[in-house]
Amino acid sequence: MSVAEMPDWFVHKKLRGNLIVARWVPAALVGLPVLVLFAIVVYPTVWMFYHAFQDTNMMRLFQGNWSFVGWDNFAAVLSSGRFGDSVLHLMQYLLFGCVLQVILGTILALTLYEVVRKEWLRVILLIVMVLPMMLPPSIVGVLWKFLLTPSNGAVNQALLNLGLIDAHVEWFNAGVSLWAIIIADVWNWTALPLLIVYSGRVSLPPAVYEAARVDGAKGWLVMRRITLPMLKEVIAIAFIVRFMDAFKFVDLVYVMTSGGPAQTSELPAYIAFQRGIREFAIGEAAAYAIIIFAISAVLIVLFLKYLKKVLKAQGFA
Amino acid sequence: MSEQSARLVRTLLLIFLGLWLILTLFPLYWQFITAFKSAAETNRTIPTFWPEVWHFENLAAIFAEPSNFGALVDSFIIATGNTVASLVLGSLAGYAFARFPRQAGGENLAFWILSNRMFPPVAVLVPMFFLFDAMPWGTDSYLSLIILYLVFNMPLATWLMMVFFRDAPRELEEAAYLDGYTPLRAFVKVTLPLVLPGMISVAMLCWIFAWNEYLFANLFVGTQVRTFTIVIPTFTHGSQSLWNLQMAFSMVAMLPPVALFILLRRYMVRGLSLGVVKG
Repeated sequence: MSVAEMPDWFVHKKLRGNLIVARWVPAALVGLPVLVLFAIVVYPTVWMFYHAFQDTNMMRLFQGNWSFVGWDNFAAVLSSGRFGDSVLHLMQYLLFGCVLQVILGTILALTLYEVVRKEWLRVILLIVMVLPMMLPPSIVGVLWKFLLTPSNGAVNQALLNLGLIDAHVEWFNAGVSLWAIIIADVWNWTALPLLIVYSGRVSLPPAVYEAARVDGAKGWLVMRRITLPMLKEVIAIAFIVRFMDAFKFVDLVYVMTSGGPAQTSELPAYIAFQRGIREFAIGEAAAYAIIIFAISAVLIVLFLKYLKKVLKAQGFA
Repeated sequence: MSEQSARLVRTLLLIFLGLWLILTLFPLYWQFITAFKSAAETNRTIPTFWPEVWHFENLAAIFAEPSNFGALVDSFIIATGNTVASLVLGSLAGYAFARFPRQAGGENLAFWILSNRMFPPVAVLVPMFFLFDAMPWGTDSYLSLIILYLVFNMPLATWLMMVFFRDAPRELEEAAYLDGYTPLRAFVKVTLPLVLPGMISVAMLCWIFAWNEYLFANLFVGTQVRTFTIVIPTFTHGSQSLWNLQMAFSMVAMLPPVALFILLRRYMVRGLSLGVVKG
């Protein structure tokens, strides 16, 4: 049986020896997964956009008598001190959480690749450093809540023993609790930029370094003129990934502080969660969600742009 | 830069690396020793950095409570069910994108699927809750989480399977057609064995993410179905956290993802080229 004799339902036509399948075959293969995503993602998204412009709360939702209020929800969100504060918290988190993680991760990744000579040692160190990333967020939250216990926590005791502090740090007081979350997050996620940059460095062509060596360039010069410029896009990806995560960041906040005390460690994503699910202000939560959604969309488009470049360079896509 | 200062920089970097390793391992060390302390010892004003008496029975105490073991079973059922579903759906789409990229909707559809993994789930949590509440199986069931976790696992499976199918030469498949194989048989006999190693690694990745998930589980289940991720923070005696039991339970619960990670670290790097490691 030749290709021409394949069942009719499968073959569309044969073109220069290539089999062209009937049009419905790929459509059906992709259709089912896309349908599932539509049901569980697209419907809730549309629902949320609709209710962002309604005065919906839990009671009105069950009675079915919500009404259109225009941009009121957005006005309420943007003018509330709670939102303004959470944006400041987010800035703090981005700067000392995300940015620091990418810087630390990049230094660690390049140190690991350039300074540690033995291959097996590198693999072991990499595994150890990535371990925190594999832990469930609720375990990380509980573990750090325990480590940072003010009265008899391990961290305070260790700092006292090392002579770095004179009195216990009250990690979960107002103004400090966000730092507690940031510390836990740096421990948890620095490995992500580390792995991204490390794998980027591994896939750089050795020929370039060979040429640099022949020209007598070494050390810092090679790093500054060759490695860092070639890793520019990869490092950008690491940044964008962490920034996208910042707008999803709820779990550690929820487990460690629940946004407290007195809302001093709330991030925008956490408020959207809290308003919608604990305080039942659905319209307002939807407005929060849309603001987060819009920022995420910008980041995602940016990310995909860089990703296409890097994927092409690494022969991935 | 002179030879000497280059050596100095190297040494400083190595010291930094060493410090980071200590900082990484210390919390895990603390978790380990706390897991075997007595409740009284965890509440000392000055914490002990080595247990005075090793209470190995803490592990037994956790599993003496059937609901704790049940939580691990629930997590296992959900993670495994979701992995199977993600893999089947992701393979269908991945195969189509690899073999018939244009007819299957092209790059834009593929990237749209991927973007689902990146959007913040809090944005759609409330409507999802009502959507599932209206379904016959409700929110507090295995099925609800198995379906929900598709949001982040299916895009991952689609993309990774797309890459693996692309690497499997399509000429082999066409040769099988010429030998009279039906399309399905050619797929099962020729292509599937080629992508199987990749498929197993995708399965493990999806499994880890579903096993670790907290946010959806916390909202959707809790009475009939309880995953371990929502049980661990609730280990308390009155208002006092039972740290030793929390640590012992979390140590057991984190073993599967850690073991799987060590097995498939190579694929992990590939997966995060897609910026998709955080579930």
